[in-house]
Amino acid sequence: MIYGKMWTVVKPTVGIPIFIAAVAISSFCVHLAIVSNTTWVKAFLQGNAPMPASMAAAPMAAPMAAPAAKK
Amino acid sequence: MSNGNVSLTGLNDAESEELHRNLIQGTQFFGMIAALAHLLAYIYSPWLK
Repeated sequence: MIYGKMWTVVKPTVGIPIFIAAVAISSFCVHLAIVSNTTWVKAFLQGNAPMPASMAAAPMAAPMAAPAAKK
Repeated sequence: MSNGNVSLTGLNDAESEELHRNLIQGTQFFGMIAALAHLLAYIYSPWLK
């Protein structure tokens, strides 16, 4: 496996936390930037997201028909 | 001495390869779940629409 021997040089107790922290911090920063710089994420999470034209034009799903009453 | 092939970190080649294999597998598992989550976000939110 490529780079499989890197843990003979890098201590796993140092390298693995750095790797996981890099993923977590960069992911958090990207999501924070999206929440901070857009309006629709907050609106979407509040449940009143403005529907884009493509979604608004789509027909609503038909309501489920009530089951026929038994006689 | 049971093993003279000890490195800077105390792991031998086989142990290092095993650790790396598990790390790669975990990363792939995380990546698949993240991809699924992004797909659901793309479908069910106004993202990129």
